[in-house]
Amino acid sequence: MELVVRKTDLLRELQLFQGIVERKNTIPILANVLLEANGAEVKMLATDLEVGLRSKCTATVSKGGSLTLPAKKLYEIIKALPETDVRIEEDKGGVKVAADRFDSRMQTLPREDFPTLPEASGSYSVTLSRDVLRQMVSKTQFAITGEDTRYFLNGALFIQRPESMSLVSTDGHRLALITVSREKGNNKLKVDEDRVILPRKTLLELGRLLAETDGDIQYERGENHLFFELGGRLLISRMIDGQFPAFERVIPKGHDKRVEFDRDRLTSAVKRVALLSNERSRAVKFQMDNGKVEIASSSPEFGEAKEILMVDYAAAPVTICFNAQYVLDFLGVVETDTVSLEFKDEMSQAVLKPIGADGYDYTYVIMPMRI
Amino acid sequence: MDAFYASVEQRDKPALRGKPVAVFGDPDKRGVVAAASYEARAFGVRSAIPMARAVRLCPDLIIVRPDFARYRTASQAVFAIFRVVTPLVEPLSLDEAYLDVTENSWGEPLGRVVAERLKAEIRKSTGLTASAGVAPNKFLAKIASAWKKPDGLTVIAPARVEMFLQKLPVDALWGVGPVTASRLRERGIERLVDIRAADTEVLREAVGSSADWLRRLADGIDDRRVEPNREVKSSGTENTYSQDLTDIYEIRAEIDEMARSAAAWLERKELLCRTVTIKVRYNDFTTITRSHSKAPATRNAEEIAARAVSLLERTDAATRPVRLLGVSVHNLEDPAAPFSPEGPVLPFDP
Repeated sequence: MELVVRKTDLLRELQLFQGIVERKNTIPILANVLLEANGAEVKMLATDLEVGLRSKCTATVSKGGSLTLPAKKLYEIIKALPETDVRIEEDKGGVKVAADRFDSRMQTLPREDFPTLPEASGSYSVTLSRDVLRQMVSKTQFAITGEDTRYFLNGALFIQRPESMSLVSTDGHRLALITVSREKGNNKLKVDEDRVILPRKTLLELGRLLAETDGDIQYERGENHLFFELGGRLLISRMIDGQFPAFERVIPKGHDKRVEFDRDRLTSAVKRVALLSNERSRAVKFQMDNGKVEIASSSPEFGEAKEILMVDYAAAPVTICFNAQYVLDFLGVVETDTVSLEFKDEMSQAVLKPIGADGYDYTYVIMPMRI
Repeated sequence: MDAFYASVEQRDKPALRGKPVAVFGDPDKRGVVAAASYEARAFGVRSAIPMARAVRLCPDLIIVRPDFARYRTASQAVFAIFRVVTPLVEPLSLDEAYLDVTENSWGEPLGRVVAERLKAEIRKSTGLTASAGVAPNKFLAKIASAWKKPDGLTVIAPARVEMFLQKLPVDALWGVGPVTASRLRERGIERLVDIRAADTEVLREAVGSSADWLRRLADGIDDRRVEPNREVKSSGTENTYSQDLTDIYEIRAEIDEMARSAAAWLERKELLCRTVTIKVRYNDFTTITRSHSKAPATRNAEEIAARAVSLLERTDAATRPVRLLGVSVHNLEDPAAPFSPEGPVLPFDP
């Protein structure tokens, strides 16, 4: 293989592979990116067997072929090069990467060791709007559990219905659900409802790709894999085989008490008060009383803090205790001026919602702490 | 404490005094030495070496079954003495702890004197000897405590830190085992201070993300505080069998027993667990773990045992011969604590 490629073109693609490649180094080849030169382009592929990314950029290929290189090192080298043409060619069992007066020879791993990834069939694909998908990912991604606890799957549930799409995530303590309505004709959904669990990493990488892309996304569900085609790149993801928790069950209905907050004021108040919360529990108390909410915290080591927000509230006084981080996570991803808190008592799960959200319905459920 | 388990045995059984003694997990099995008396150490018997090798090294070795109840009583007596001096006691095991004695209830300005008095108190109250290291930080104190044993006392005054560092081989560090040490040696790093001159990339290649940490230690810097309430994150037992297990009923029985002992530990500690993990090592040494998590947390022995045993279905145990089995409990919760760390769980279950 022998080719010449613009530094910026290659760098832009390689950067997207940095999150994909295997970090634990259990299988050496998974730290590598596969380069395949053919015609006027070089195709790239990397995977950690859970998520894979296919991408390409234009190149002047003088000799077609394929080889693998460590994704991280290659990226570092390309990044460090000046704005110029980069030459990549096979060289006596290694790979020469050169530009201007810079010259290097990198070690490679056999192309044959690189895993084969499934291909999208191209049929049964659904078009998803970039902005909608981006919205859905950013509003759920943070609530997926980081630990591998089986019970709370390390992924988010993607539900498609003819008239809507939802994404749900939970770590067991809080739950984020976003639903977006869609036009009926705009999909080839064969069933009434299609449910699939996306790995956390897929959502993370999807979020990253969406930020780099314009235009719609083609989505396809294969036998064991999911395919997202966006901006000429293809994200391939394993799907999680398992039962997603019965999330409908924890979304409360008929909460009779409700408070509306100015989002900025609430965010600042919680941030300030949380500074003196118990470092382990991060607990902040919301004391709802006639016409006001007092947000309070106390830490055995540092002291206590409170801040009063004037609100429209006339029901019986209730005190609910939340992990401040869970509240701030919600406030950090919504963009409406006003948010609402719906609750029943200090023990039942409470619901936060943006008021006046445009084009989507967002429900965030938090389990209160014991006071 | 010096040769803690073995010393307790020698204290309680006069016939063992002055003799090479080793405390084992289970002498009938492929156990390892849990503790060796100083008489046994003279023959090269060390903790963590296999029993068979220990007996080869020292044919007169007296093998003693462990009695953890007695060790725990002795340990509690020692920790009670520590806590008189300062509340800042961070236990590392039954017989080892960091103490921050900058301020102490004896009003002793000198760390050396505090250490001398502690050693005397321990001897008086338990009849056992301890070795102490006095230093400006945890990492140096830990090394100093092992510098002279038994009944040792090593003080590294701030002005002598550099001199002390110069003497240290890399494997003197806690966390630098034989493998890491040999990786460092291959790169010409023999002494701890060689790390200072080592190239960052080379260091990173050898020890990965610990590189920065080692570099700080090489300069004698360690800012970690003594943390009295370090939480226990998990507990478990494992067993290596003298004969590989191939009978699924026997494997289930072993897992069941270990799960019950984990439940008993939860009971003693008044904790609950959400996750049960089993570990299986096949005869070719491939090791796998399987976990199951469930809310609410529990310490019910029946339930924990049933979950551990059913995890076996997700392994090839018995189809492939099994060399080692283990059960552990994680994601612990203290029901008495004002809050569980992440708060209560949403009621997904009906």
